[in-house]
Parts: sequence; structure tokens; C-alpha cells
Amino acid sequence: MRRYVPRDALFRILLLGLIALSLMGCGVLVRGVEKGFTATTNSSLFHQGRHGELSEEEKTWAEIAWRYFENNHNPKTGLVNSVDRYPATTMWHTGDYLAAMVAARELSIITPCDFDKRLSGLVHFLNTMPLFYDRLPNKVYNTQSGSMVDYANQPDEIGWSAMDIGRLLSWLYIVKCRYPIYSEYIDKAVLRWNFCEVLDNCGTLYGGSQVHNQVSTFQEGRLGYEEYGARGFQLWGFSTTQASRIEPYEMTTLYGIEFPYDSRDVRKTNTYAPVLSMGFLLDGLEFNWDKTDQRKGWDSLHGEPDMAHIAEAIYKVQEERYMHEHIFTARTDHPVIGPPYFVYDSIFAAGYPWNVISDSGQYHKDQSLVSTQAAFAMWGLWETPYTDRLMTLLHCLNNPEKGWYEGRLENTGRHMKLITSGTNAAVLETLLYKAQGKLSTCTPPEAEIPRPYYDLNIANPFKEMGKCLPLEREKCIP
Amino acid sequence: MKTSPRPPMRPLLAATCLFLILGACTPANYQLTPSYGDGEPDRIEAIIIDKKPVPLQNGDQHLGRNGPLTDEEMNLARIAWTYFENNYNKETGLVNAVNAYPSTTMWDTSSYLGGLVAAYELGIIEKNQLNLRLTAILNTFNKMDFFRGELPNKAYNTQTAQKVNYANQPGEIGYSALDLGRLLIWLKIIKERYPEHGNAIDSFILRWDFCRVLDRCGTMYGAVLKDNETQYVQEGRLGYEEYAAKGFQLWGFDTTRASKAEPFSYILMFDVNVPYDTRDPRELVAHNYVVCESYVLDGIELNWDLVSDRESDDLSHTDTITEAFAQRIYKVQEARFRMKGILTARTEHQLDGPPYFVYDTIYTDGYTWNTITEDGTYVPQFSAIALKGAFGLWTIWETPYTDLLFDAVSGLYDPEKGFYEGRYEVTGGLIHTFTANNNGIILETLLHKTQGKLLQFGETSSKWDHTIEDEFIGIKRCYPGHRDSCGAFSKNNRP
Repeated sequence: MRRYVPRDALFRILLLGLIALSLMGCGVLVRGVEKGFTATTNSSLFHQGRHGELSEEEKTWAEIAWRYFENNHNPKTGLVNSVDRYPATTMWHTGDYLAAMVAARELSIITPCDFDKRLSGLVHFLNTMPLFYDRLPNKVYNTQSGSMVDYANQPDEIGWSAMDIGRLLSWLYIVKCRYPIYSEYIDKAVLRWNFCEVLDNCGTLYGGSQVHNQVSTFQEGRLGYEEYGARGFQLWGFSTTQASRIEPYEMTTLYGIEFPYDSRDVRKTNTYAPVLSMGFLLDGLEFNWDKTDQRKGWDSLHGEPDMAHIAEAIYKVQEERYMHEHIFTARTDHPVIGPPYFVYDSIFAAGYPWNVISDSGQYHKDQSLVSTQAAFAMWGLWETPYTDRLMTLLHCLNNPEKGWYEGRLENTGRHMKLITSGTNAAVLETLLYKAQGKLSTCTPPEAEIPRPYYDLNIANPFKEMGKCLPLEREKCIP
Repeated sequence: MKTSPRPPMRPLLAATCLFLILGACTPANYQLTPSYGDGEPDRIEAIIIDKKPVPLQNGDQHLGRNGPLTDEEMNLARIAWTYFENNYNKETGLVNAVNAYPSTTMWDTSSYLGGLVAAYELGIIEKNQLNLRLTAILNTFNKMDFFRGELPNKAYNTQTAQKVNYANQPGEIGYSALDLGRLLIWLKIIKERYPEHGNAIDSFILRWDFCRVLDRCGTMYGAVLKDNETQYVQEGRLGYEEYAAKGFQLWGFDTTRASKAEPFSYILMFDVNVPYDTRDPRELVAHNYVVCESYVLDGIELNWDLVSDRESDDLSHTDTITEAFAQRIYKVQEARFRMKGILTARTEHQLDGPPYFVYDTIYTDGYTWNTITEDGTYVPQFSAIALKGAFGLWTIWETPYTDLLFDAVSGLYDPEKGFYEGRYEVTGGLIHTFTANNNGIILETLLHKTQGKLLQFGETSSKWDHTIEDEFIGIKRCYPGHRDSCGAFSKNNRP
């Protein structure tokens, strides 16, 4: 990818200087200036997408989303179900829950003490939960018993997912950064894990699964989710060089918009590499497409311009599809009711634009959605007439008692009434993003990296050895 | 890199310079008369005047390589013809599609007819052998059983001329519009070149029932048997569809829809926009493979001309879309060699073991340089330089790249059996299969070098033309002009 500083960056700085000068120069019309100042601080000069106080309606949207986490909370384990009333969850969805919890507190839907209760329950679970082969969180847990289960929710240990763990690590870090008081307990939970197999010295991420009673690992993550998942590991001091690279990729073009897709070929690797929105969108909401350790700077500038450009193209190509084909488009991977239970509702996959495939590559054209979570995130990140229309299209897709629906079926217009933690967390994340900007901020912004307990312990040669924590690792020899 | 012999450049250049200089300073009426110093300066001029005016040198030229075959090329033509010597069945006049296996299709039979015409025109066989072979096969054509009495079945036993299934057992399986389209092209070429066989050819075509193979809007349909029920499904994807449609057009049929390039789109490969059919292989059974065969055949047999074009010279191509697409198909393969160093001449081809047949493509089913079986399985190990593809590119595009292709494949033959099907891309090994299609097309390409466009129109009136003029004959068979056309498609005029 080309690397360049957005051309309008300079222009923005210049404009800001002008405004500052003009503000200094006038003493009257204070109210007007104040108003203008608010408009300016909320403008795209400083922010990527929408910014400002939430309207009444938007507050209601956030409350509806939070209802999901109220309803599906299991006090015994502290976990929240990943799908409405289905007692199982993954580490990805535990990340969802942490994000929702932070948003609910920041948007004053819950009190700090509610937050404390919930977080403490969850952290207790993380500190006591059984681990897959005593190494890492299992892919799935039963939310009522807290035991490791398989996808059918039967007791079993089946493996780990580096992507899921990455998102959880990100949110554990964000929680600490915002509320450093909880840092110690979170550090303890992370220090239980063994990182030897999930990440190699060159920074490639690996998933693990149990095959014939043996652990087998495989490279995990494709362009988008891979870079996003790697963020979590980076925040905890790991080098993720290879996973964070956008290579290997190829470019393709739709409606004149060029965007990359992961060039690891399904015909050789047996893993599909669909172009999906959500990895790029979450990266935008949570990290503003900045460098992972970037603590300062305006949200209008992006420390990882490549990721920002890809995300922009991913958004743009969906808008263009609407302009050219008159089909509302906000796509990402999502669960479906009944087989195949999950589809990659993609922009491009296995050679086809707008392909909708299951894990095994079966074409499921009729399962494609205008996805609530993708639409919300796009609405938050791009303030455009198209995202306004998307929101008009989707703002009724909820049950105030239960939360937001997964989306609207592209083929028939029907509501797809699956309710999941992923969608409801994305709604809350987006609204918090609108209120505050980039989610991975710290209080105060200049604070030390908030993991003193973790740093102290990983630096102690007599403790935590053999877990391949950052200091124990050798340099990458590719 | 070896290169095939070329005229020495320097003298040619000098001559051109001299000519230019002379041309620049000689008055328009001044004639250069060679002087023999024998006191008869006018003799040569007199001879020239006696002859018919010689057309401009350009007029003799055609697409791609021109000129008589070299000894080496002549030898290659003879080797290709050995296939048809070995696999000829005297009783039926049919030739096996694959060496020593007594079965064939109408497509492979067309390639045989192409090979036969080339062998005669190149002087490999005598006129009487051509006549005997044509007589035998036309006799079979006029007697053989059709699928459901409609049209020639997909496969026939070459020894008995019975219609057979894929296992070469007596039975019927359907018909292929693409195979029939190509057969129509070759029967037309033969009829125009050798009108003495026109009657037998016309009688054969007059046996056909065209009502289902073409609909009113000119879409082509193939027939397949499923649970003993006949299903008629749209047949043909970009390239093959337009090529086969020209066959039907040559006999006067309306193929409006099939002849349209739409629906298609482009995929950018090495800076070349390669056209592909956008009918979706995920929803329809058919693959949308992009290969060079149909473009090459259209080029050598029909010169990328419109069917209506009986006039234009061989350097202009009136079917501009097909020409443009063919150029891209060539360019992208050359570009692959330039960028990746892989010699490429891709088309569908046979294999010497399971799965026996692959679509070895430039693009299909979403992927570039995809090699798949009929059911879509990815089999990159079977990608190959197809000999018919390489020869086709060689004759149509006279470039250093096709020189190299020619050198890579021209030695790949068994003097007793003909040319091998191909050479594997990965291992460089041979595909130990000999086919009528491969050897027939190779003969066609060699004939094209000497003659250009293989379809040469004659002047003779024919039984077919007079029969279809009769409004009382052939309504039930949907002869041309015997049913309403749905007209040109436009938004205001939906059929």
C-alpha cells in the first residue's frame, strides 16, 4: 500500500490556526462564538465521523442495546450469553460485554457501582475459569456453569481462537486504561495464560484445536480481523509484526473503487478469506486506525493510514453499490437462524463480489443482511447522507425489551430477529464513539501504561516463566 | 531462444530505402523497366500486361502468419494427419475422438472435417481420398439416428454409427448446441469449397429439427436427459456461445441473443481487461471459463468476421467485439509469460488419467488461472500448454512469444500417432493422449497460415436455400424465416 499523509491534514491545521486567530480577534457575540466553537470541535476537523452529545433518540437506542446485556447476564458466572437466551459465549463476545459495560457506564445508563459489580463478577470468572489444556481460554464456555463446552454447548475442550482472545485482550486493556483501579485483577487473569502457541516470535497468530486428543495449531486471521485481533496482543507487550502487516493481499476493483483482499487462497489453505466490514469498523471505533500505542492526537488523523484507507474503501464500495444498484448494503459476517448458523456476508469472497458463503464455502444468497452492527458502525464513522439513510432504514429493528435485531434481509426486507451480543455491543460502542471519539483512550490520557502488576511480574525471572510472555521471547528469525 | 527462419532484414531495409529514394525523385509517369541488355527492354512489361492485374500485395495478406508452409511445418501437418489415418473407421466414415476409443461427438467430428480439408488443401491427400472420406461420413450423417428424432446425439459409436451414452453403450443422452454450431460451420465451409458435396450436406441439415435448439429470440439450448426426462437448458458462455451461434447464422438462423456478448464483465489481469461471462456459476451449473479455443477457432475459420461479411479482406475484421476480446485473450497470456515467466496457451483439454478432462482456464468461477474439473474441483497440477492453443496463437499472432510457444510444442509428437494433447505447466511432462480435436485444430492452423480465413464463399446455389424459401416446408422444424423472431431486445420492447 502507498503510505502518505492525507493531503487535507495540512489544510486542517491551517484552518484551525485561522479559526483560533479569528476567535482571539473578536470579543463580542460570545454566545455565537460558543456555538460556533462547539460546531467546530464536533466537526470533521477533529473527528472522523459523527461527534457530539447524544440526542434523546440515540440515548434510547443505547438503552435498548443495554437491555440485551441486562437480560442475558448470568449472575453465577458473571458471563453474558452471546445469543439471546442461549447459555454459551466466547471470548470475542466477552469482549463485546466489556465494551457494552464501559459504554453503559460512560453514557450513564448504569452507575459506577453497577459497573463495579458486573466487572468484578466477570474478572472473578476470568481468574477462575478452566483453560483449554491449562493454556488459554477455550473457544466456548457455558454461561450458566462456567465450564468449557463445544459448539453444541456440551462439556468439552475444543481449542482456542487467537482472534477472540485478541478482542478480549483489547477490551481488558481499555477497561484498565479507563479505570486503572481494576488493573491488578485484570493483570492476574491474563497472567494465567500461556502464550507460547498463540503467537510466534515473528508475530503470527495461531488458533488451536483439539484433533484426536492432541492440540494442533493453525495460522489464524485474514486481512481485517487479523490486524484487529493483533491489536490486543500488542497492547500487552507482544510483537505482532506479521499479523499486523496487511500483506499478503491482492487488489480488486468494484465500481471503480480499489480495495485489497487477503491473497491466501482458499483452494490451497482451506480457509476462506472474505472481505468483511466489521474488522475494519471495530478497528476504527476502538483504535481510530491509529498506531496501537498512540495516546494522543485528533481522530481526524490516522496513525495507520493504510488501515484507514482500506476501511474507507470498504465503506465507499458499499455506498456505491447502493448508488448503482439501489440495494442497501451494510455487510459483515453474522449468525443466521438454522443451518448453516453462520455466514460470511461479504463484499468479496472466493472470487465473487457480494458473495455470501458459509464456513464450508456454500453459497447462501438468501441469507444476506443489511446488518445492524455494520450500519451502526458505518453511521458512527462516516457522517454521510448514505449512513443517514441506513439508519432511517434500520432504526426500528429492535425490541425495546430485548435489544437490537441482527439486521434486515436483503432479499425480502424482513427483520432478521436474531438478537446477539455482537450487534448490541456494536450499537453501544458506536454511540459511545459518537459521544467521546476513539474508544481506547485512557484517563488521564498521559497516564503510564496501566499494567504495573503485569509488568512487574513478567519482568521477574522467577515468576511466570515458560509462558512465552514478551520479555521471555527471542527475536524473530524468519 | 531459437527463432524460426526469417527473411534477412538488412537487404530488405536497403531495398526499401532505395525504393523510397527512387520514389521520391522519379516523376509519376516514369516506369522502371528492367534492362536485360539484350535490346528488348519491353519484354517483361508485355508479360505483365498479359496477366490479370495483380492485386495490391496487401490484398494477399491475412491475419497472423502468412506464406507457404516450410518443410518443417509440412512435416508437422503430415504427423497430425497420421492421427486421422489411424483412427478412421471405413464403414462409417467417422473418426475416434480419442486415440483407439471408438466414440466421437459432433465437435470432434468437426475438428476431423477441419483436419480433412486441411490435409487435402495442403496436398497431404489426393482429391479422391477427400471425396471418399466425405462421401462416407455424409452417408452416415444422412442415416444416423438422432436424439429423440430431433438432432444429432451428443455421442456416437464410430464403428457402428449408433448413438451412444458416455460409456459408449447404445443409448441417447441429449445434444449440445455448441457441438452442432461448430458442425454447421464446418459443413458450410465444405459446402462452399466443394459444392459437389452440397446436396448431401443439405439433406443432412434438412433432417434437423431446430425448434428447441434455438428459441424465437435466438438463444441456444442444449438437451440433457435427467431421470429419462428431456430438459432443455441454455447452453454456451461468452466465447463459445458467440462462436457456435455463427454456425447457426451461416445457415440463416436468427441468433440475436446468443450472439450478444452480454452479459459480460471484465476482470483486470496484468493490466489487461479480460472479458468473462457473468452468468453465475454458483447458481447455474455451467462454468464461465475463459479460454482461447473459441477465439482462435473464430479467428482462423471465420477471421472474426460477421457472418454477413462475404466481401472484406482478411486484414479487416467485421466482428469487432470478438476481435477485441480475442486480442485481450492473447495479450493476457503473453503478459503472464512476461510477468511470471510461465509459457501459457490455455484451453480446455483432455488428460491421460482421471478426471480425463479439465477446463484449464485464464479465468473461471471467480479465480484467475483456474484449472477445474467439470464439477468445479480445483486441480492446478493439470494445467498445461495445450498444443491446439499454442498452434492457434502461433498462426494468428506473429510475435516472438508465439515463436517461443511454437518451439516449445512443435516437437511434441509421436510420428506414429500424431500430436500429444499438451505439456504440463508444472512438471513439463507430456499428456499422453492423442485426440481428433487437437490434431484437427493443428491442421487447421497450418492451413490458415497458407490460406487465411478458412471459410471461402462460393457462388453455387444450394438445395438448402431453395428449400427454406418454400413457406410450406419446414414449419414444424422451424427453418429460418418459418417463425416469428422476438426482435431486437430493447427496454421498450420486452419479448
